[in-house]
Parts: sequence; C-alpha cells; structure tokens
Amino acid sequence: MELQAVLMAAGGGSRMMDLTYNTPKPLLPVGNRPLIWYPLNLLERVGFEEVIVITTKEVQKALSTDQRLKTDVKLRLDVVCIQEEADMGTADALRHIQQKIKTDILVVSCDLITDVALHEVVDLFRAHSATLSILMSKVHEFTETVPGQKGKKKAGEQRDFVGVDVTGKRLLFMANEADLDEGLVLRKSIMRKHPRMLIKTGLLDGHLYCLKRSVVDFLVHNKCVTSIRGELVPYLVRKQFSKSLNSQNATEDSEKNQKQQDAHHNLELLSTSKDEALLQLARERSCWNDHRGDMSEAYHGGKLRCYVHIMEEGMCYRVNTLAAYIEANRVVPKLFEDPPIHPAAVVSERSLVGSDSIIGPLCQISDKTSIKRSNVGTSTTIKEKVKITNSIIMNGVTIEEGCNIQGSVICNNAVIGRGADIKYCLVGSGQHVEPEAERTNEVIVGSDQLMEI
Amino acid sequence: MKSITCYLFNSEFQTIYRVTFHFSHQALLPLANVSMIDYTLEFLTSTGVQETFVFCCWMASKIKEHLQKSKWCRPTSPNVVHVITSDLYRSLGDVLRDVDTKALVRSDFLLVYGDVVSNIDISQALQEHKQRRNMDKNVSVMTMIVKESPPGHKTRCEDDDIIIAMDGKSKRILHYQRAQALKRLHFPMNIFHSGSDEFEIRFDLLDCHISICSPQVAELFTDNFDYQTKNDFVRGLLVNEEILGNQIHMHVTKDGYGARVSNLLMYDTVSSDTIRRWVYPITPEANFADQEGQSCTHSRHNVYRETGVSLGHGSQMEENVLIGRNTMIGANCTISNTVIGANCVIGDNVTLDRAYIWNRVHIADDVKVKQSVICDNVEVKHRVVLNEQCVLAYNVVVGPDITLPEGTVLSMHHPDEEDDEDDDEFLSDDNDVGYRKDKTKQKGINGDTMFPGLVLNADPESDSESEVSEGSHDLGSHPASPELDDVKVFQNEVHGTLQRGLDENISCDNLVLEINSLKYAYNISLKEVMQILIRVVLEFPFHQQGAQISTAQYSSHLLPLLKKWAPVFKNYVKRPQDQLDCLASMEGVFLERETHWAALVKVLMSMYQLEILEEEGIMHWFNQGSTTDKSQQLRRNQGLLKFIQWLQEAEESSEGDE
Repeated sequence: MELQAVLMAAGGGSRMMDLTYNTPKPLLPVGNRPLIWYPLNLLERVGFEEVIVITTKEVQKALSTDQRLKTDVKLRLDVVCIQEEADMGTADALRHIQQKIKTDILVVSCDLITDVALHEVVDLFRAHSATLSILMSKVHEFTETVPGQKGKKKAGEQRDFVGVDVTGKRLLFMANEADLDEGLVLRKSIMRKHPRMLIKTGLLDGHLYCLKRSVVDFLVHNKCVTSIRGELVPYLVRKQFSKSLNSQNATEDSEKNQKQQDAHHNLELLSTSKDEALLQLARERSCWNDHRGDMSEAYHGGKLRCYVHIMEEGMCYRVNTLAAYIEANRVVPKLFEDPPIHPAAVVSERSLVGSDSIIGPLCQISDKTSIKRSNVGTSTTIKEKVKITNSIIMNGVTIEEGCNIQGSVICNNAVIGRGADIKYCLVGSGQHVEPEAERTNEVIVGSDQLMEI
Repeated sequence: MKSITCYLFNSEFQTIYRVTFHFSHQALLPLANVSMIDYTLEFLTSTGVQETFVFCCWMASKIKEHLQKSKWCRPTSPNVVHVITSDLYRSLGDVLRDVDTKALVRSDFLLVYGDVVSNIDISQALQEHKQRRNMDKNVSVMTMIVKESPPGHKTRCEDDDIIIAMDGKSKRILHYQRAQALKRLHFPMNIFHSGSDEFEIRFDLLDCHISICSPQVAELFTDNFDYQTKNDFVRGLLVNEEILGNQIHMHVTKDGYGARVSNLLMYDTVSSDTIRRWVYPITPEANFADQEGQSCTHSRHNVYRETGVSLGHGSQMEENVLIGRNTMIGANCTISNTVIGANCVIGDNVTLDRAYIWNRVHIADDVKVKQSVICDNVEVKHRVVLNEQCVLAYNVVVGPDITLPEGTVLSMHHPDEEDDEDDDEFLSDDNDVGYRKDKTKQKGINGDTMFPGLVLNADPESDSESEVSEGSHDLGSHPASPELDDVKVFQNEVHGTLQRGLDENISCDNLVLEINSLKYAYNISLKEVMQILIRVVLEFPFHQQGAQISTAQYSSHLLPLLKKWAPVFKNYVKRPQDQLDCLASMEGVFLERETHWAALVKVLMSMYQLEILEEEGIMHWFNQGSTTDKSQQLRRNQGLLKFIQWLQEAEESSEGDE
C-alpha cells in the first residue's frame, strides 16, 4: 500500500450556515447524492480500497443507513468519529488518527467535487519524493444568482498568492493577501535558486494533499499546529528554503525545545528514511537535474520539497459556500450517465420535465407541472400546476398547487403553501411558506436558527 | 521605418574608468582590437537605424576624431552619425532633456548606452512596441530589451542584478529594482492590483540597456528634472503610474547576445565571448569596422591572426587568441584566451592567459600574466609576474623581477588629480624605476578599495568575506580611508605641530590639545590619529636630516624625541588594542624603509622603557601571523629576535618574583 486515503468530513460548513444548520455538510445533496459521495467516488475511481473517514457521529449514522451510499460505494470505510464540540482542526484530526497511519497519506476534504486525474498530483509526489503535493485549480466564475444576496457579490474574499517556479509545479511561495500588508517579501536566495517565479492569484485550493508519513510524526510533536491549510502547508512551503531546520523560539523552556528539536529531527528524517540512500545515489549517478543555469545539484540540495498541480481545465469545486453549492448542483448532473428521472419516481405524463433537470427516487410530480434546469431530491411531492425553474429542491419537500419557484434553494422537509411565488430565495429545512406568499431574494429560516447565529 | 535615434555617452561616469584609462574615453577602448563604440554602432546599424546621435561630454574631441576616420562617416554609411557634445551632459537625464529642448526626435527611438555589445534582433520588440502604441496611444512609453540569463551567467555582474515584477500576460513592468545589496526583495502590494491574476517575478534577466522609447520619454525627463538615470526614470514612472498613466513594457529575448561593458569584469567577459564567437556575426575576422589592415584570419580553436604577426620558434597559441597586426612574439611562449593588440613586442618564454594587451606594449622575457589588462605603451620588463586582476594603465613601466599581487592597479595618473590635465604624460620617462615602484605601490592599495571590478565572486554568499580578506593586510600600513585628502592634510598638520613644539618648546599637554583639535577639524578617528602620530614621529628625523641619514644617526635623533613626547603617546595609547595598532603602524613605517630595520629594536626598547608599550602588546604583535613576506622578514631580524627573547626572559623572571 503506497498511500492511505484520509477523508476529512467533520467540517460544519460554517460558511453556509443557512444550508447546514440541520443537515451536516457531508450529507448535503448535490445532484441528488450526498456531498461526501464525490470524494469517495474520486478515491474509488483511482483504485483505493480503503479510506479513513474522519467525521461526526451524526454523519456516521447516516453513512451506515444511507442505502444509496452503501450500494454505490465499494470502498471499505474506516470511520473515525470525533466530537463536534472539540473544535478540532484538520491537523488535530490527523494527530487523532496517527496510530492508523502507516504510510504516506492522501488527505481529501469532503467538499471537493472534481474530475481531476488524481495521478497527476500523486505523480508529482512520487517523482520528486516530495514532502507535500497539493491540488489547485483555476477559479470558476459563479454565474448563478445567489439567493438572499444583494447585488453581485464582489471578490470580497482576500486572494491567495501562490508562487510557483517556471515549470508551474514547484510550490515556492504561499500567502494570503490579508497577511501581506507590508507588501510581498521574498528572500533573494530563493530568487537565486528559482530566478523565475510565477505568482498566481485566482486559484482555488482543492484541499487535497499528499503528505509524507513523517509529516504526521511532525504533527504529533508539534501540538500547536491545528490546521493543515492554515498552518502546516505554509510552514512546509517556507521550510523548503530555510537553511537549518532547527530554529526554535528561545523563550520556550528546554523541555519543549527538546521536543521541537525532535520534531525537526523527524522532519529531516523524512527524507532519509528507508530508500533515501538509494535515491541519493540515483541522483548522484544521473545527469538529471530539476533546474538549469547554475551547476548545483538537483533541488539545490534541499530535502524538503512542495509541489502543486494546477488544473488548467476540468471541473473543480469546493462546496463551502451557497454560491458554490448552487453552481455544483448545476454542473454535476452532466457528469453522470444516470437517467435524469429516477426509475422509482412517479412523474405524471402530463407534466413537463426538462432534460436538464434531475428527479430523485420516490418523487411524485403531478399534472401540468413544469420543471426546468432544476434538481429535485428524494421523496419530494410536487402538486399540480407548479412551475420550477433554476432551483434546487432537496429531500422530502412538499410543494402545493400553483406555486412558482425560480432560482431558489428549498431545503429538506420544507412545505411551500399553495400558490406561493418564490424567487431567488433560500427556504430553510422544515420551514413552512404560507399560501399565496410572494417572496423575492430572501433567506427564510426559522427563528431558532437565527438565534444560533 | 522612421529614423531611430540613439545616444551614446560615457555611462554614469564610472570612476574606475576615469582613473585607470585616463587617456582614453571608455567608448574608444579596444575590445578584441576594435573600439567599443564601433560595436555599438554596428549593432544599431544592423537593426536598421538610419540616424544616430552620439552624445558625449568628456573627451568629445577624441570620439569625434575617431568617428570621422571610421566607416560611419563615409558617404556610403547607411547610418548617419551626428556627434553632439556639451560639458553639461552629466547624466542620461541631461542628455534627454537636451534632446527635448532641441526637438531632435519626433518618433520612436532607440536608447543605447555607449558600451553595449549586442547582436540581438530587436525587430519583434519593435513590432510589439508599435502594436502597443497603436492600441493605446501614449500609454506605453518604453520597451526595455532584456536578456534571459539566469544567476551565475557570465554576462551578469553583481552590480547590474535587477529584479523585475511583471504582468504575466501583457509583459508590463510592475516593479523594477536593483537587487545588488538586498537580502530580501520587497514588492509593494499595489502592483498586484492591476486586475491580472498572473504575475512573474524574474531574477533571471539582464538589462541590456537597449530601450525602445517613444518621444514622450524625452518630455518626461524634462518634466521631472530630478531624473538623472534610467533607473530613476523607470522607478519614477512605475511609482507614478496611477497618476501619469504611463507604462513600461519589456521584451525578453532568449537568444542573441547583449551585454554592457560597464566594468573590467564585464570587459573580460565580453572580450572572451567575442573571441569565442558568441556575438556572431560580429566577430574579429569580420572586420566590421572596415578598417584597413584589420583583417585577420580565423583558424581552429578560435585563433585569429592579423597581418604581419610573427611567432617565434616553439610558441603556442592554444585557443581563443587574437593577435593584432605587426606584433612579434618570441620563442617558447604559451598564449591562451588572450587578446594582443597591434605593434606589440613580446619576448621569449612568456606565458599569457586571459591577458588583454593593447597596442604597442613591450613585454620582455620570462613574464607571466594571468587575467590582467595591459594598456597602450606599457613596458613590462623581464621576469615580472602579474597575478589575477591586475591592470597596468597607459605608459607604465614595471619590473624587472617583481611579482604584482592580485588586483594591483598601476597608473601614471594619480586618482585624486583632476583628469583634465595632460601634463603628467611627461612624468614617465625620466624617473627611475625604483621611484615608480614606490609610487605605484601606494596606488595599488588605493586600487583595492576602489577597484572591485575585476573580481569575480564565484560564490555570492561570501561577498563580504572575500572583500575583507583582500583589503586587510594593507590596513596596518595605510589607513584605508576614502577621504585620503583629509588624512594627508592631517598628517602634514601634525607634523607641523610637532615641529613647532620642538622649535618653541611647547609643553606636551598643549601638543595634545592641538592634535585633538586637528582631529576634530579633519574628522579623523582616534585610531587613525595614533597611527598617523606614530608615523609622523618615526619619519621626523628623515624630514629634519634628509632621507639619506644612516641608521645610527636616525636612532640618535629619534630616541630623544620619543622621550620628549612620551606623554603625548601615553595620551593616545591606552588600551591593549591601541598598542597593537601602534605597533602595526610602526611596522608599516619600517616596512617602507628596509635599510633602517636595525632602529626598530631601539624604538621598541625605548617605547617599552617609557612605558608606552607593554610586553604583552609587543609579544602579541610579534606572534601575530604576518601576511606578507616582507613583514615576516622583518620579524626574522636578528636584533628584534634578541629583544623579544630578552622580553620573554624578563617576563618569566618577573613572574618568578611574584
């Protein structure tokens, strides 16, 4: 076994609370499948047989009961539960399961939907004996209107600056705009080694990492690192060019220092483990080099290397905001060859269901109803003369007669009263929209949910 | 294509050139036996330039004279060359402001430094520039031509390291900075707000100093009278981009050769590249300057010979050798990677490697030259060895039988003198060689500090180290201060004070007071005061009694003086370090006067007895590893050894007493 897969599925979806307040993020339906299915499928496609899933109790229960997941996913799931209240970061989670980790690991986030050729990322990891390789993609512009959002949302989020070398593979620099108040600062020694650096913004981090086994050991020794993306990755990227790996805070007491040194020692160990001597020999004997120009050895003698695969084409979404969720729902159905209308759905012959829509199992769709460019989830009942366009209807929703629903997201078990007119709204789980209501551009959620925020 | 105009002038007035090559303008220096200006003009002509303005300030008449004789001023020349001279052209800014005033250009023009050697094809860059100008009038004012050459490339020299941030797609320059002394490179955030999502930060570029400029460039220089150099201009435009809306683009070329001969390191590099044919079609045998008698043959291993070359029996031209016309080479010479000018005479058993020998040079037998420049009319006498990075300027005579250490610069022209007088030409022939050696030696030391040009730093990380180690061994004898003037004047003043003190019998306290006030007047450090004081006192007898006095006379004069002025010394020599400095200074004085070494012991003894120096200090100084042969020799002096032995015994016995 070369790589162990770890799926991080304990995130709360804090950036789209309206959707996730009573449906855990991994279970949100995207194209009538739970979100978690997509990364599992990605792993299965490339031949993983087992995956460690880190998640919450709630999701674990759903995983064991969800029929569709059971039949679709052949992977052996090794589910590890963590407490929701513990507020664990991704790095904490890795520390939590360190006993299970025997080899290098592939960490995937549960909100990743992509058709990437995963071997590209892993090949970089293998070819350069890298410590870290990650997946990034060009950001897709979201075109759909997002419910409850006033006006076109500007790129308010701060950009990530990613620096790669001339091949576009070696990861040299990584910082968020927010941390660059003083301007972008690079050491000249880095520029001397990599005289041509491409700085890219507008990249989406896929939160998919290949990590050396020893990085987990490093995490075990450095309890202060809590998040992979926030702390570990930037640390590793920086460490590529630091001369001595033994730099520590003078203020810390000696015991801790000792520990840190151990950790650093481990970090160096990572490259000297088992085959390293052979690899070294191979590099010495070979005329291959990773750079041109000066005559120094390959990688300039650096032992720690980070790589990135940037997808130029193809699909890559991270479903962590409402906009991304809507976009993913639009795009995903095109990927599958499933029949748009599930065989177990009851669809009246006198209704009109566009070929760009999908209908989940056990749905009832009555006469004179038209559905265009929409996804309709499991066990949803749609009465007569309803018009649905550009919308996402989740599971167990009831839509009474004569409703007009446009560009909206209706969450699980909501009931839409007769003749309601809903445009660009988000209707929260279990909400009732009164008959004849006219709502535009609103987020309709329960008061308890509001309190929670 | 409309007429493109170019400007040549001596770049930024580099002091190195001025000092060393006093008799010639940089543009007229021979590079592979052809004047540098001809390379630049040839490059311009080959790019299709039809009219060239040559701007010069210094040595303008010589440049004019050269151009009038050259092919550029023949009626058939495709490139009309105008020479415009003025004493006021002190920088690129001055020149371009003048261009604007005289309205010399109405369309795009090419701006080139007078020391560019290049064969870059700029047609594509021109096209891109035009396209940009057509699309957006008056926005893109300049296209810089840069060559891809990663760090460590030969044509890069540390001084010219630049870091450029550019827009990945439009090739617009967002940030331009000289990176020479920087450890960290800093990019302001606003350059990343240009709406692009891909930026390139490049450290692998060499600015060829060839720029395609629109006429606004001249106007902008007029508007901003504080712009002096191109660097000012580029930086200024980038900073004010949002206000003025002017942009600078660049064109990166991968092949082609472009380099600027801005210092001797580059001179070495470009010369050897020319001979190795990297600047093809500009090669030595092409005789592109079309001068009579310049034609030469090109044979295997890049050996070029002009007409009338004679080579003695057993001499070998190994590779990359260019020999000028009517040069005679003796027997059993080994010549490699070398350029020799016209009408030189080279003796037997001479070894030349990476030597650049100009015209009419005489080299006697058994001379060895490594990586050095030898200018016109130099005479190198037999068994002289020139180590790496030596320069012999015009008309110097060296030897016989001396070895010049690395990095020595010998010139007949003192660096501090103004360079507009020509009369020091006459200094040369009447003086005896011994005197000249003495004079030139001093200059060698000055050269160390101001002449880093020929030093190739193989490992950039260790810059500082190498510099320190190079200069250090001379520090003791000569305070290496940039303000040589002040130090010298100070020295004279101290001498005057002491003389007066002697004549008028002034008390030591008052002498100290006077010296201290002098110290402040000339801003001299305490260490230097002490060193100069020692020097002045030790040389005092020479000044009083003439330089020819015997050692015995010398000591008999000096010792009473030492006794008399002991309080003055004591005032300055307090800490152990002071003693060491004092001793080093003494050593320096005596090293210059080998005949009086015997007096050193007496001086030391006297100083010891006067309690100015302590035994620890003397022992420390004596045991200190000496760097030069001569000072080692000094330490082997019989009298000194005896004194030291005596000191040691005295020390032991005093320890025994306790």
